[in-house]
Amino acid sequence: MAVTVLGISGSPHRHGNTETLLDSFLDGARAAGASVEKVVLRDLDYKPCMGCNACHKTGECIVHDDAITLFDKILAADCIAVASPIYSMGITAELKGLIDRGQYLWAQKFILKKLYFSNNHIRKHKGLFISTAGLSWDNVFDGAFPTITAFFNGTGFEYYDNIIANRMDEYRGIKNHPTALKESFEKGGTVVRVLEKLKAEPGAEK
Amino acid sequence: MNGEIHESNLFSPRVSKDSSMPINVLAFAGSPRRHGNSETLLDWVLASMGDDPDVAIEKIALTDANINPCRGCNACEKLNKCVQRDGMDIVHDKIIAADCILISSPIFCLGLCAQVKALVDRAQVFRSRKYVLKLPVVPPERKGKRLGVFLATAGQKWDYVFDAAVPSIKCFFHVTEVRDADISYLMINGVDEKGAIESHPTAQSDAQKLGKTVIAELKKRLAA
Repeated sequence: MAVTVLGISGSPHRHGNTETLLDSFLDGARAAGASVEKVVLRDLDYKPCMGCNACHKTGECIVHDDAITLFDKILAADCIAVASPIYSMGITAELKGLIDRGQYLWAQKFILKKLYFSNNHIRKHKGLFISTAGLSWDNVFDGAFPTITAFFNGTGFEYYDNIIANRMDEYRGIKNHPTALKESFEKGGTVVRVLEKLKAEPGAEK
Repeated sequence: MNGEIHESNLFSPRVSKDSSMPINVLAFAGSPRRHGNSETLLDWVLASMGDDPDVAIEKIALTDANINPCRGCNACEKLNKCVQRDGMDIVHDKIIAADCILISSPIFCLGLCAQVKALVDRAQVFRSRKYVLKLPVVPPERKGKRLGVFLATAGQKWDYVFDAAVPSIKCFFHVTEVRDADISYLMINGVDEKGAIESHPTAQSDAQKLGKTVIAELKKRLAA
């Protein structure tokens, strides 16, 4: 079965720098034979987490909207590429809104103890963070990494790699960046080949 | 009027007080859970500020404030205003009018909750005004006379649990003309269940102290 790759575009700005970088990754994955799907968060209808903690009792979110459907897709994918531009030193409110909604998975794991990702499962599920920032500062992505780590931990993915490019203002867009798009395409192919090998291991779970 | 906090859902006017020198305090309760730990922490600070008769306080619960995320369209770089018509229309003016802005947020997934991040990102209009259009965000005489407060609570005990939230908050205050050195922080980790902060050994007294300190400093600066 083909490796499944899910791209999640967290930018409100369609076909901007971040989504273009994600597209390049997905093109690379597709060229390597993966089954690829892209979800654009701004086209979905979901609310941020309301902090009601009802999921702490049931393990389910009481709000039934596109976020839950998307989490089902995330849990079914072999690889997820989560993309967000840096706004105010962090990920966008759209992506943060989605990530916060994963609280019901946290509750299943840590309160109800009915969800468990084995080490073998985690090594066969790779997560990548794709991001661009206008500023040139080296620390401009630092505020995003911890939240992305929490997201991958909560959904059973190994935090496999970052594809990040700053100085977008200086370059006047990702298309003028010397290496980013090529690097992203190549990483898309690489992760699919790695996952193919892992999936082919004898007697292993999905 | 001592200790009274006026809570607004954006549609009621600011409390006006009979005073020659009102100090305008604007507070954003960022948590979607009303009256939980981060909002309690905020209420403690506000109650202590409200002991002073010169202080007018307005608290806005972001979960009811109808502030959408930034659309990333960059239109504010040309228009000097946001193309979205929502709760930010009213909040925008209040941010400019305030002498002190407080933001409280719970930490969700090691960051600000999405509701606070939306507010921070919508401050892009101030960034465009300041850096692209080179227009004043506040009149020059008010620079250095605005103070910011960030209050946060986190369920996790890790001491780095607030690290990713702080840079975003600094961005908000930077573009709204509150200097980095003029932001105060009170961040309490290890409080998760509703009401847990009530039994924290120092949170309430630190919050009360902070409220007093901020108002005293504001009075000094506004009188200068």
